[in-house]
Amino acid sequence: MPSRRRTLLKVIILGDSGVGKTSLMNQYVNKKFSNQYKATIGADFLTKEVQFEDRLFTLQIWDTAGQERFQSLGVAFYRGADCCVLVYDVNSMKSFDNLNNWREEFLIQASPSDPENFPFVLIGNKVDVDGGNSRVVSEKKAKAWCASKGNIPYFETSAKEGTNVEEAFQCIAKNALKSGEEEELYLPDTIDVGTSSQQRSSGCEC
Amino acid sequence: MMTSDSSSSPSSSGTEFADPNPSTDPGTNSERVQSQLESMNLSEPSEVSDGSHTDYGGGDDDDDDPAEEEVASANGNEGGVSNGLAGTSGDEEIEASSRAEHPVEMEAGEEPPSPTSSGYDGERGSSGGATSTDKADDASETEIREANVDGDTASQHEAAWLPGKRHVDEDDASVSWRKRKKHFFVLSNSGKPIYSRYGDEHKLAGFSATLQAIISFVENGGDRVNLVKAGKHQVVFLVKGPIYLVCISCTDETYEYLRGQLDLLYGQMILILTKSIDRCFEKNAKFDMTPLLGGTEAVFSSLVHSFSWNPATFLHAYTCLPLPYALRQATGTILQEVCASGVLFALLMCRHKVISLAGAQKASLHPDDLLLLSNFVMTSESFSPICLPRYNAQAFLHAYVHFFDDDTYVMLLTTRSEAFYHLKDCRIRIEAVLLKSNILSTVQRSIAEGGMRVEDLPIDRLLRKKPSSTPNPESLTDVSVGTGGPFGLWHFMYRSIYLDQYVSSEFSPPVTSHRQQKSLYRAYQKLYASMHDKGLGPHKTQYRRDENYTLLCWVTPDFELYAAFDPLADKAMAIKICNQVCQRVKDVENEVFLQGASPFSW
Repeated sequence: MPSRRRTLLKVIILGDSGVGKTSLMNQYVNKKFSNQYKATIGADFLTKEVQFEDRLFTLQIWDTAGQERFQSLGVAFYRGADCCVLVYDVNSMKSFDNLNNWREEFLIQASPSDPENFPFVLIGNKVDVDGGNSRVVSEKKAKAWCASKGNIPYFETSAKEGTNVEEAFQCIAKNALKSGEEEELYLPDTIDVGTSSQQRSSGCEC
Repeated sequence: MMTSDSSSSPSSSGTEFADPNPSTDPGTNSERVQSQLESMNLSEPSEVSDGSHTDYGGGDDDDDDPAEEEVASANGNEGGVSNGLAGTSGDEEIEASSRAEHPVEMEAGEEPPSPTSSGYDGERGSSGGATSTDKADDASETEIREANVDGDTASQHEAAWLPGKRHVDEDDASVSWRKRKKHFFVLSNSGKPIYSRYGDEHKLAGFSATLQAIISFVENGGDRVNLVKAGKHQVVFLVKGPIYLVCISCTDETYEYLRGQLDLLYGQMILILTKSIDRCFEKNAKFDMTPLLGGTEAVFSSLVHSFSWNPATFLHAYTCLPLPYALRQATGTILQEVCASGVLFALLMCRHKVISLAGAQKASLHPDDLLLLSNFVMTSESFSPICLPRYNAQAFLHAYVHFFDDDTYVMLLTTRSEAFYHLKDCRIRIEAVLLKSNILSTVQRSIAEGGMRVEDLPIDRLLRKKPSSTPNPESLTDVSVGTGGPFGLWHFMYRSIYLDQYVSSEFSPPVTSHRQQKSLYRAYQKLYASMHDKGLGPHKTQYRRDENYTLLCWVTPDFELYAAFDPLADKAMAIKICNQVCQRVKDVENEVFLQGASPFSW
């Protein structure tokens, strides 16, 4: 229970297996990159403190397993997310085509109160590969998809070289923060003795 | 209530159990008592000599022992929760769950102890599930000595306990954090941290997410995770709607008690916020309740501290300050008058002990609510909306609290938020009565004198050889002699079933250090749990001996008695002494118990 008001933002990273979700996260949090590929099993969790407009907040980043056989955390996993980051590999059309599925899966599982305006961010990763020669998804195509989904912010990154990663996460934080802004009204009643009949029976051994 | 020993049959109720008639021949009397005890359906071996109470060195989890620094002794299981999930094969796995394997499957990567398969974990400030095993093991070896610092130094600090959060600079990457003996975590069902006993909640966000993943993973299979055992560590889970509570402990306490502690922790949270927070989560899964709990660290740390000294936390009974009957009656009268004027509950308290209390008609107060309320009051402000989770978890009451002196305070609870001036007026009326009858000074005297003492137990002169004050080597061989009370009685607790109250003796030599007291306390908890184990019990009596104590427990429909003796105490004598303790409590029941208190008499 921090006495100073701080905000914690839950950020979920989704996308096909091997597009570089874990690498992006590690580049952002640890400033490190490894060429070795290790499939994420279940999920990874990292935290990072971020300063934004004089406010300190914590990003709780949920890195998911892209492989379908690990998609077992379901509703609980997506519940209460403040922002969802969709990642694809600019060198893989399939990973781009699957973005619709990932987005829909998220909206179904998380069932946010305002799905139209839920903050997504799209990241096209691996722009460094082969000097961009093996690229199959154009920036134009990606931006068109973003526009059709309610102007989702788009970033092209290289987790390997760290290109644009900081910027992408800054935007993620900003959008997550915006969506968390609406305050919940918390107004419990006071007991009405006249109507309350919550008395228990005797000898309750609890 | 106790009848003479000549009248009743052993098969009848516990209150008719043998009465220790001082004039009876000691030998035959105790023999009969013993045979009666033994005839009482003992379903466990009458004497249990297990090594389970090796708690002296390592059972301490509280923060009042700076020397010990609350770090656990290394046991090769420092890999954290995930380690527990992956490596519990030999132990009892997930209680009431056939799905223990599933989490293992989830962790089935090359690095079984960690859900973080990326290999990047263990970085400062970024750690998610767990740091790597190698790192933890290395570190733990350097820390063993620290954990084994002798308790004598620790006991000297026992008066210095202050409520408040400790070690805020730690997180799950800190070696010291990982070695704390008892962690408490509260998180939301979206994995956002709400409370951690140690460390900064935000820095523990990754750890919190890991806990949520474990709970949710099992839940997704239509199951529930209650307990995970990993070596010496127990991970206890409690799900309360959108709130998840987790205790990770290597204190050797029972699962039932740890779960009870989580229940109380949840109750304390409800006391401050009511269950209306559930609605906030329903409307908005992102809801963050930590701002609503701002400034309440001391309330929670004090509650957690009480888990290791306050029997009310597991007996679910309250205790009274010993007072002459007439004085208690006088305070009860004015409190009742006040209640008749529209106050729901009126409680006159001294620290955690009740002087007197009253309630409006049909309003009853649960001992757990009383515990949470007094814990809240003693560690926070004096006029607040509060919620009594056992009374009505949905809504607020308004509590007016006034301290008459450093120790004694009155709590007036009402449903009317605008009743402040009325409550103040009520307090003035109560104060006038207290001043007139000089009750406050009697209360202060009672505090100074303390409660019942084992040394003061009147016992049959024929049985008693010599007071323990003579350090005669020969007398040491005699079972009747020992420090503490007669015949090696060290301590007792007596719980009255009907009154919802308990009385326990003051700690006497040799149970003097805080560490020893805590160790005894833990032994009681085990005894309590085994007596109330639904699978084995309920038991009526239990006699248990190990290298630290001889413990005797006697449960009847009217009362429960827990007594600790010298490990060398004679069994027959111990049984006889227990009878005398019961008799003694009956003799002074008007002083040590609150009689006919309406709020508790259902």
